Amino acid sequence: MNAHARLLGCGKKGMLNMEGTEFNKTKIKVITGNSAAAHGAMLCRPEVLALYPITPQTEVVEEISGFYASGELDAEVVEVEGENSAMNIITAASAAGARAFTATSSYGLVYMYDALLQAAGYRVPIVMVNVNRETPGITAVSSGQQDMISTRDSGWIQIITSSCQEILDSIIMAYRLAEDFDIQVPVMVNYDGFYLSYLAEKVEVPCRADVDGFLAPLKDQPQRPILKPGEPMGFGTHGILEGYLELRYKHSTALERAKVKFDEIDKAFERHFGRSYGGQIDTYRTADADMVLVASGSLSGTAQKVIDLKRDQGLKIGLIRLRMFRPFPRERLIETLRGKKAIGVIDRSICFGWNSGPIYVELRALSPEIGYIPMMSFIDGIANMDVSVANIERMVRILQSASEGDSYQKVTWIGMEEE
Amino acid sequence: MTNRKGGLSKVFDYFCNEDPFAEGLSPCPGCPLELALRLLGKILGSQDLVMTGTPSCSNPVMTGQNVGAWHRLTAYCTLMTGAAANATGLSRQYRRSGQDATVVCFNGDGCAADIGFQALSGAAERGENFIYVCYDNEGYMNTGVQRSGTTPIGAKTATTPVGPKQRGKSTRRKNLPLLMAMHRIPYAATATLSHLEDFAKKLLKAKEKKNEGLAYIHLFAPCPTGWGVPTHQAIEVCRNAVRTNYFPLWEAEKGIFTLTHQVKKPKPIMEYTRLIKKYNHLKEDELERIQEEVDYEYEFLRHLTEFRKCVATKHQTAGE
Repeated sequence: MNAHARLLGCGKKGMLNMEGTEFNKTKIKVITGNSAAAHGAMLCRPEVLALYPITPQTEVVEEISGFYASGELDAEVVEVEGENSAMNIITAASAAGARAFTATSSYGLVYMYDALLQAAGYRVPIVMVNVNRETPGITAVSSGQQDMISTRDSGWIQIITSSCQEILDSIIMAYRLAEDFDIQVPVMVNYDGFYLSYLAEKVEVPCRADVDGFLAPLKDQPQRPILKPGEPMGFGTHGILEGYLELRYKHSTALERAKVKFDEIDKAFERHFGRSYGGQIDTYRTADADMVLVASGSLSGTAQKVIDLKRDQGLKIGLIRLRMFRPFPRERLIETLRGKKAIGVIDRSICFGWNSGPIYVELRALSPEIGYIPMMSFIDGIANMDVSVANIERMVRILQSASEGDSYQKVTWIGMEEE
Repeated sequence: MTNRKGGLSKVFDYFCNEDPFAEGLSPCPGCPLELALRLLGKILGSQDLVMTGTPSCSNPVMTGQNVGAWHRLTAYCTLMTGAAANATGLSRQYRRSGQDATVVCFNGDGCAADIGFQALSGAAERGENFIYVCYDNEGYMNTGVQRSGTTPIGAKTATTPVGPKQRGKSTRRKNLPLLMAMHRIPYAATATLSHLEDFAKKLLKAKEKKNEGLAYIHLFAPCPTGWGVPTHQAIEVCRNAVRTNYFPLWEAEKGIFTLTHQVKKPKPIMEYTRLIKKYNHLKEDELERIQEEVDYEYEFLRHLTEFRKCVATKHQTAGE
């Protein structure tokens, strides 16, 4: 029995093929990150969904199937035979006018890579959940962001979340962003496998009316191009030379617009639901900080705790939680990081060829704007290795010594240091 | 194309329909693909037709290869991996939104039998409502004549050359139409361009049957450029493929097989291979091997057509 069937309880068995009363009221539930994702997707009323299981995402497709079976989700649900097809199905469905959804992880994400590029190039406003998991090694079904990082230049918008509530809320925000007439770019909502996918937390599940209301402004926008039978139109007939150049330019500028748009959507979300996550980045005690840690995903909670501990000890340190990885929130990072004395970046993946973390490499590109500030890369939390308080304290010690002018090592693989 | 009373047959009337394609398309001279596409447009009508095509020989026709659209149709460009999946997405959304649509995948054998087979098989198993036409030119012709899963044994291609160590393709072709019929989809059929009436009937039947699930048509379409066939002889090659039983014409409805064109006295395979340069290197024993393959496959098919007698009653009462 899946979690949804349990939640429905025995008293509501007679509501097949109809929307039940389960989501007429906002409710507090204790659910996993996967369940939160399923709830978030369902509440956005997707019309075509392609579902294929993969650890640690499986519960998402199980719960959505449950919503479909119970009548809560009125949609075309395709129990597809692989992720490549899943992405192709929702891309075409979106081209035909549908609101579409799928969920994947790790090898599933890279198995749909050709379709992923196609979806972005076709500018279909679809939303996909990606539960971060390692890629090499079939038993490394554990958290790590290498999957998402490997698709960073695909032209998708990539959002990283850090709590079960944020997963649910981000999916709703993702549709507002993807389907905005000025954007029309697919959005990938990421969260850590295991740490968030299987973690049960208190989650406020909004009622249907509230989600409908939040997404309603999309209906007032101009109609995007839709492929309809009997109305001749070529979809994906990208040419070469200038025509192609123009498409790529427009795509790239749409991603630039998505940054401010995401901040605006976050504010609108706060007005509507009373919750805010800071938009592109979430800052914590950075205003007067000398040192700043940059992190993303579930480990941000631990990092926040270390910040508090160190603040109590008199250290002026703050945290930036990266919520948007593509497009990269350059402007807001520059604004926050300018004038700091040391920056430490925690990466849960590797930028091969640079022997450092990918987010670190991207931040290094901001040096002309923020000035020369000692910047360190910490690689930690690969394959579910806990990014513990002790680990982050170690990073802070290195950061502190660098901020005081000592020489420092640019890249530290936590757990691989030579004594 | 006349019926017994001397008038035009019903299906032939469709041939007079408006051709949604412009004149002067860009396939190679003598390519039967153009004929197939024009016919398909006329038979199915542009009213609710949504075409999908891959990067392939059909691509210049479908997308106008950078010079603008060459047809009055709704078209979606797919990747080879996801052709059937894209069609799934389109047809599902049209079904959901209550729009009449005939979604047609028009793909080559490389897509259908090789790289896109998973998606095709998945769509067949799920009973998706669209038509999948595989034009089988027995290889990757658009990339310059490489072997595919449907390239027959002995055939010379760019990746199965002839030399002291290799004599063309060393393994037999994948019988894709049979594989598709084995999914017990509402409709699977073979067709070719020497038998246009048969092809037209099958297209119309596919359009009707796709409401119950996937309809699949395997269209034998020789490639004059890649096979070494004179440009005026492509249709003759089609005809001889049927006459030699190299490519029998049949249909299968939910796994019940029928021959739609019975060849009374099949000609030896030589009648077919002699027209095609890709077989030029073959010696007598090698041709015999091909004959054996043809005989085996035809015998297998013939047994399948007899199978209907065994299951007719049971099958019907079981309610499928």
